[in-house]
This record gives sequence, C-alpha cells and structure tokens, in this order.
Amino acid sequence: MFDLSIWFYFGMVLTIFGTIATVWGPGVKDPVIRTINTEVAGIGVSLILLTYNYTLAVLTVTATTVVCTLILFRAITRLEEIGADV
Amino acid sequence: MVVDLVPQFVPSFFQSLYTPALYGGLIVAFISLIGIAMQKKDIHILILTDLVGLAMLIVVAAVGTDLAEALVLPGLVVELAEIMAISEILISREMRKIGSEKSFVPSSFSLDMEILYTAPNFIALILIAYGAFLSGFTGGAVAGGGIIIYALSRTARGLPVVVVDGISGISGIAWCLWIIGFVFFFVAPQYWLLSLFLAAFGLFLKVASKMGLIGILMREEFGRK
Repeated sequence: MFDLSIWFYFGMVLTIFGTIATVWGPGVKDPVIRTINTEVAGIGVSLILLTYNYTLAVLTVTATTVVCTLILFRAITRLEEIGADV
Repeated sequence: MVVDLVPQFVPSFFQSLYTPALYGGLIVAFISLIGIAMQKKDIHILILTDLVGLAMLIVVAAVGTDLAEALVLPGLVVELAEIMAISEILISREMRKIGSEKSFVPSSFSLDMEILYTAPNFIALILIAYGAFLSGFTGGAVAGGGIIIYALSRTARGLPVVVVDGISGISGIAWCLWIIGFVFFFVAPQYWLLSLFLAAFGLFLKVASKMGLIGILMREEFGRK
C-alpha cells in the first residue's frame, strides 16, 4: 500500500522536529513543557524502530519512555515543592 | 566503502537506510548537545539528556540486524538507571543548597476518579499475565507497568498494597537466578533450556520488581496526606 521507507522518513522528521521543539520550542522555560515535547521525539524513534521490525525494542522504548517521564515529573514536582529555581 | 563490511544477510532495504539513519542520529545528537551546552539549569540538562539517548538509539538501530535489537535493550536500561540516579542526586543537592529548614514533604495530591477504584485489578492482572508470557526484559517491563498501575491507585480492592511492598525484596533473589542461568550456560551446555528459562524469568522478576519499586516510590510521594 505504502512504500515502507515512508515510515522511516516520517519517524526521522518527527524525531528531528521533536528535538528542535525540545531545545528551542515555545514555552520551554517551563520544564514540564520541555518534558512533554520530548515525547514527540520518542514517537519518532518508535516509528524508526518499527520500520526495522524491532518488536522487542519498540515495546521496551514505549515502556521506558513512560517511566522516564514519570521520573522526570517526580524530579520537577519535588524541586518546585522545595522551592528550587527550575 | 562500508558496503564490503556489511554481512550478506542484512536486507538491501535496511542497507539503503543506513546512511540517512546515521546522519539523522548525528543531527539529533548535535542539536540536543548544543541545547545542553546552552542550558544553565540542571533539571533542563537532565531532560535534554533523554534526547541524546534517543539519538543513540537511532544510530544503533541503523545496524539493521538482531544485533541492534540486542544492543538497544541494555542501552535503554542504562539510560533509565542514569536518569533515576541523576534526578535523585539533583534533588538532594538542591535541598542542601536551599537549606534544611524548608519542608520537603510534598503537598497532598488526591485523585478521585472512578477508574482508579474499579479498573486497576483487571488491568494489572492482564499486564502481569502477558508479561509472564513474554518473559525476559520486555516481559518484566510490561508486568512492571501493571504493578505500577496497581501501586499508584492504592484504593484498589483486593490484595492489600502491603503485599506489593514485599515484592520488591524478590529483586535480589531474581538477580541470583539470572547469574546462575548464565553460569549454567558455560558449565553445563546440555541444560541450555533450563539455563535459558532461569535467565529469562530471573530477569523478568528483577525488572518487574524494580518497576514496582518505582510505583511504590511515586505512591509514597503523591499519596502523602
């Protein structure tokens, strides 16, 4: 139906776009917005791994991205709680 | 050039993707490293480190064989452990910098949603059963997701949450199982199936209990009244 490399290049564009959005995107002074922008790049990497048929790697990337986000949110809320400059 | 080094069994489609994947990974790494160099605040640098890990994944994935898959999994585990450790160090350093007279008890965070009372038992059961079927690292991650859901929604009916706390003690025993499985591979190769299952389920228990530990940590954090 589609050329397989479409998914690869779409994933690559999403990854680069998500990286730029995380580094220079609007509102990234707020660490929460920066963390959520990381997810865009994460989805792009998942698409790339999907093109290469890495089932286990896709499952693991999905799981660890969620856990990473949880850890980062915990760190951010804790730092804001103790009144650090974030 | 590199074409001579590529083994014969790599599909030509993956070979054709090698150069764009390598350059794409380098571009992502370059942008995120520039971002790290420009940042002053530590928590932002920690978030951007996540992106460097993603660039590493793309470069590893460009290999295009099962070797890449075998390298992606430990890379992810190391990245996860690194982010956990650095975030803990960051928090304790900020606490010291600000001074201990501030209270570090987080404000209470109460969620009142129907799904937290009824669904967690079922979802956790399905995820743990599927994780046990998968076994190995991925199964551990899936089952650990189930344990996290169960531990985070502590109002679930059924098993008391105290039982989940005990599960985290299994981690050390599971690690021993994994090592015994590896030693068996070399000492008695004729029992390869036994050692394979020892290693797979040892790793499963280890990862699942580690992720359960994260869930309990988060619950302690947010469930404090």
